[in-house]
Amino acid sequence: MNYRIDQQMNLQEKLEILADAAKYDVACTSSGVDRRNSGKGVGNCMTPGICHSFSADGRCISLLKILFTNECIYDCKYCINRRSNDVPRASFTPQEVCDLTIGFYKRNYIEGLFLSSGIMHNPNVTMELLYQTLYKLRTEYHFEGYIHVKAIPGADAEIIERTGYLADRMSVNLELPTAEGLERLAPQKKRPKMLAPIRQVQAIRQQNKQELTVYRHAPRFVPAGQSTQMIIGATGENDFQIMKVAEHMYKKYEMKRVFYSAFIRVNDDSLLPALPGGPPLLREHRLYQADWLLRYYGFETEELLSEEKPDFNVFLDPKCDWALRHLEQFPVEVMKADYYTLLRVPGIGYKSAQRIVRARRLGTLDYTVLKKMGVVLKRAIYFITCGGKQMYPVKLEEDYILRNILDGKEMLPPGVKPIPAYEQLSLFDDPRFSV
Amino acid sequence: MIRVFQCEDSLTGIMTGVYMAWDSHLGHQNVRLETACDQNMELFCEYVQVEPDLLRAEKVIKTVRTRLGEEAYEMMAYASACPHAGKADAIYRMIVLGLHLPDGKNISGMLTQPDVRLVFELKRKVWHIAHRYMGFVRFRELENGVLLSEIDAEADILALIAPHFSDRLPLENWLIYDRRRKKAAVHRAGGGHILLEEVDEEFMDRLRVSAEDDCYDALWKSFHRSIGIESRSNKQLQMHMLPMKFRSFMNEFQDRKI
Repeated sequence: MNYRIDQQMNLQEKLEILADAAKYDVACTSSGVDRRNSGKGVGNCMTPGICHSFSADGRCISLLKILFTNECIYDCKYCINRRSNDVPRASFTPQEVCDLTIGFYKRNYIEGLFLSSGIMHNPNVTMELLYQTLYKLRTEYHFEGYIHVKAIPGADAEIIERTGYLADRMSVNLELPTAEGLERLAPQKKRPKMLAPIRQVQAIRQQNKQELTVYRHAPRFVPAGQSTQMIIGATGENDFQIMKVAEHMYKKYEMKRVFYSAFIRVNDDSLLPALPGGPPLLREHRLYQADWLLRYYGFETEELLSEEKPDFNVFLDPKCDWALRHLEQFPVEVMKADYYTLLRVPGIGYKSAQRIVRARRLGTLDYTVLKKMGVVLKRAIYFITCGGKQMYPVKLEEDYILRNILDGKEMLPPGVKPIPAYEQLSLFDDPRFSV
Repeated sequence: MIRVFQCEDSLTGIMTGVYMAWDSHLGHQNVRLETACDQNMELFCEYVQVEPDLLRAEKVIKTVRTRLGEEAYEMMAYASACPHAGKADAIYRMIVLGLHLPDGKNISGMLTQPDVRLVFELKRKVWHIAHRYMGFVRFRELENGVLLSEIDAEADILALIAPHFSDRLPLENWLIYDRRRKKAAVHRAGGGHILLEEVDEEFMDRLRVSAEDDCYDALWKSFHRSIGIESRSNKQLQMHMLPMKFRSFMNEFQDRKI
């Protein structure tokens, strides 16, 4: 039997290992809570959040995203830190996490801390360590910046509650969209066990809201709400199933965000799919687009997808795709249509819709004004009239619009080839086929 | 004959200009505001220099805030920080128009008016720049414990980001230096912040970074390296979100200078 003798690691080595281990976690937002400094500590929070840097993969770095430890008792097939992998292991101490957070925060490198962890010994020990770290950071170092912490499924409700009063956001990863997928790839994790802390946090948040209406200065419990994340493409779910799960999480559990992470094959395991074309980034992108439609634009999953058409169109974003399938609702008259109708026009976002509604009370809009307001006319011109006129004489036909939108000037996501406007007809290459 | 009021390129300067233009009683179509002084002069115009006057500017600002609302005032304050030749005149026209509306508070949403639209656009632009700098400012800790940072922004955002950092780091001594405008925001621990003008760049050379700072600098760089996922590598997206112009002051994108 081989014994590995660990040498004392310095902070830099630990940080490298534990940041590297945490990078597959996607939630790096610092939004959802507005808090001014009390005048006695370090830090504040801003509702929109602040991005402090961008990594080589183009993702924003807002929080110091680290694992407390990458030691883990579980053996989930997709995870780099699973028990059976021979990777260098390291653990922080609460003191080290505090020093790093404060040192980085003071230099304005980060907006706060994102603390996740592998499961060391058992969930209770791990959760208690996370709690101690947060307690030290909040009370000894008087840190008032953003903290996102993982609730460890299986830990005692009492520890989770204590931790929640110190954190701004808590999250439990669903890992995979369905319980069957979980059963296959992470047999030690059980769906009901994961939902328990989510329910608990939701319940305490509701109770806390009532307390806060009575006592304005009562301690706030998870003020920025909960989030969760799912791995996309590791198991065979289609987009419709994934969106249904996300919608369920938003409606039933009052999630602030559901994150999707394209599956990256970090372990060689026969149960995992091979991905010759790299991670399914385009699919992830489409899911995020649809996610925004659910949260901000009043769409329902059933409108975007159905059992018969369970996956998103690769060529078009979900909103445009929806509009092309519902041409009977267009064109929309910008001067008259209500806010919710405007929201459904491709090229009009919720901000430009608000601006339109406000500005048209006091004057007549035209296309120049619309452009300045932030409406993406290259998309919107097919679907709107302004003062009864179209910008150019365009036809309201599916083929015509599709061809023009995909005119090559349109930025296509990586991995998709543009379709030329005219080409030899063939029976099988129609852009409306989903790939 | 049009009378052109040339005012200083600051909120106080522009608001004083607004006061003087209105006070001239020449009629709104016969007056114009300008900020840039080195522009080509126009024929049939009379040029008047306006010295910034805090008292007069305050009067205009008070009227704007009560009659046109905080939102309109915020729009003007942000827009005045943006380098644009037509901003002073646009602000003046916006005030004139707003004061003639039955409810002046509607003015901030009246994007059908070209002048309001310009102020709105400039405000949006400056807000984006300021918000980016709130994240991209990098402090270095000096031997005496002072946090020091340098910026080089297109718009004059120092006054916009300083309150944010005052709130964030109330117990630290810090300084943000705007290299392009030779201005600095200075904050004393436990106190407020002040803005200094005409600060010479030379003082930067004499400053020494603490040893602890080098250690955090190395830690941050290694964190920044390890957090990226190789199989998702996307330099173009990174460049889009964080253009080169911001990177010259961000330590993770360069080797240590001092």
